[in-house]
Amino acid sequence: MATKETELLDEMKSKFKVDGKIQRERRIWVSTDEKKLMEMSNWLKDRGFVHLSAISVTDWLEEGNYELTYHLWSYNDKILVTLKIKIGRKNPAIDSVTPIWKESAQIHERELHELFGVKFKGNPDLSPLFLEDWERSPPFRKDFDWREYVREEFYDRENEREKVYYD
Amino acid sequence: MIDQMEPVPKDTEYDLYFGPAHPGSGNFGVKLKIDGEIVTSARADPGYLHRGFEKLMEYRTPLQNAVLSDRLCVLEPLNWNLIHAEAVDNLMGIDVPERAKYIRVIMAELSRIQSHIIWYGVFSKGTGFDTGFKMAFGYRDYILDLFEMITGGRVYPAGYICPGGVRRDFPNGARDKILKVLDKMDEMIKLEELENPALDARAKGVGILKVEDAIRLGATGPVLRGSGMKTDVRKDEPYEIYDKLDFEVPVRKESDVYARYMIGIEEMKQSIKIVKQALEELPEGEVIASNLERPKVKVEIPEGEVYVRNEVARGEAAVYMVSDGGSKPYRCKIRGPDFLHMIPVLEYLLKGAQIADVPAIYWSLNICPADMDR
Repeated sequence: MATKETELLDEMKSKFKVDGKIQRERRIWVSTDEKKLMEMSNWLKDRGFVHLSAISVTDWLEEGNYELTYHLWSYNDKILVTLKIKIGRKNPAIDSVTPIWKESAQIHERELHELFGVKFKGNPDLSPLFLEDWERSPPFRKDFDWREYVREEFYDRENEREKVYYD
Repeated sequence: MIDQMEPVPKDTEYDLYFGPAHPGSGNFGVKLKIDGEIVTSARADPGYLHRGFEKLMEYRTPLQNAVLSDRLCVLEPLNWNLIHAEAVDNLMGIDVPERAKYIRVIMAELSRIQSHIIWYGVFSKGTGFDTGFKMAFGYRDYILDLFEMITGGRVYPAGYICPGGVRRDFPNGARDKILKVLDKMDEMIKLEELENPALDARAKGVGILKVEDAIRLGATGPVLRGSGMKTDVRKDEPYEIYDKLDFEVPVRKESDVYARYMIGIEEMKQSIKIVKQALEELPEGEVIASNLERPKVKVEIPEGEVYVRNEVARGEAAVYMVSDGGSKPYRCKIRGPDFLHMIPVLEYLLKGAQIADVPAIYWSLNICPADMDR
C-alpha cells in the first residue's frame, strides 16, 4: 500500500539517488553525502519540512567517521525525515544549513561545534556556548576521557581522601 | 593624560546582566544592551547548568540512565523519565504492559500540571504579583505529596518511569488521592483565572512572536501554540495511550505574552481531563515487562537507532539514541525545547523590548535552564 512515507521516500530516491528506509510509521531515515546536503535540504524545506527538530553528531571512533544526523519534521505530513551524512573525523567540516533553517539551525550547529569540533562552513556565529575557557579537545568526542580530565584538573594524588581515584 | 582615556560613552547606553544571580532568572543569564529604556540587543549566556548528560549516559546502562534522566529538567522530571524510557523501549522492542502505559500518562500529566503551576508562579513573581508565586508553590505541594506517595521522591522520582514500564504499582488509595488533588487543582485554576488588570497591562500586546518567526526560531509547544499554530506531539504523533484519550489542544491567535500565559492555564485544564479519563479506564495487570522486573538485570541494547519525540510541558522534547549492541547507549542526543526557547527565541523577543517588559517576556516562555544546558 502506498503511504505518505513510501511516496516521499520513492520521490527522494529517484530525485537524489539516495539510500533510505522506513523504520516505522512517520519515521524515514535517509543516508546521503555532504555534496547533496544543501540540495536535499532546500528541497525538503520547500516540501514542508520547516521544523528542524535537532542536529546531532555520532562519533564512530573505530571507523574514523563523524555521522551527522538532521532530524526534520513536517507539520503538514507529520513525518520525521532524518538525513544521515558521514564525514571524516579529522578536521570535520560541512556546509552550514543556517541559510535554510535560519536561527534554529544556527544554534544547533553552534552547540555541535563546541562539543564535537565540527566546522560548519557559512555559520555566522560559532562562538563557545556552554563551556568557559575550554582549551582541550572537544569534550563529547569518544576519545576524550573525562575521568582522566577530572583527575588532572580537580583531584590531588597526595590527598588522602582523593587518592582512591587514581587506583 | 586626559586624551588617552577611552571616549565617554553616550550616557543613555549601558549593559545590564539579567541573571545568573537575578532572583527570577534561574541558572541562566542574558546580557542586555540598553539604550535608555529600550533593549537594543540581547545575548543569552547559557552554561551554568551544563552537566554533559549526553556524555554521562554513554557510560551508564539504561536503568542507571533512567535515574539520571530525572535531572534533565528540575521542574518536570517525570516527563523526561518517560521520554528516556520510550527510547530504550523502542530500541529493545519491549512490549510495555497496558497498565504501565496508563500510569505513565497519569504521572506525566500530573507532572505537566505542577510544571505549569510553577510557570504561573514565577510569571506572577516576574510581573510583581508575589501572592501568585506563593499560591502556586502552595498548590504545587499537593502534587508533590502525590509524587512522594507513588514514586517515593517529592521532586525527583529516581527513575520511576523506567524502561519496560514503571518501577512499582500505585499504592492503595492512590486513585482517591489523585482525584482529591485534582479538585485542588481546579481551585488553583479558578484563582489563576481571576481578573487581574495589572497582569493584563503587563502582558497584553507585549513580546509578540508571529507564527512564521516562531517556526523559523524553532519554537515548539505552548510558545508555538500561543502564536496560533495548532500542533502538539501528543496529537500529531500519539505515544503511549494518547490516541485513546479525548482532549483539546488550546491555541490562541494573539501571539503575545498574554496568549502564552493563557495557553498554560488551558493546558492544565486539559491535563486534568486526561488524568481523570486515564484513571477511569486504568486496566488491571502488570506494570513492568517481565524480562525487566529486576532492576539490576544486565540488559543488552540491540544495535539500532531511534528518534523519539514527546510533548513535555515546555514543548517538543526528543531523544536520539544510537546503540552498537552493547549494554550502554553509544550516543544519546537530547533535544530540549528550551534550548531553542531560551537562546534564539528569547534573544529575538527581547530585542527592541522595554526594559520593564523583560521579566514578563522571559517567563512567558516557560523556561527551564536545566534542559537547555543539559
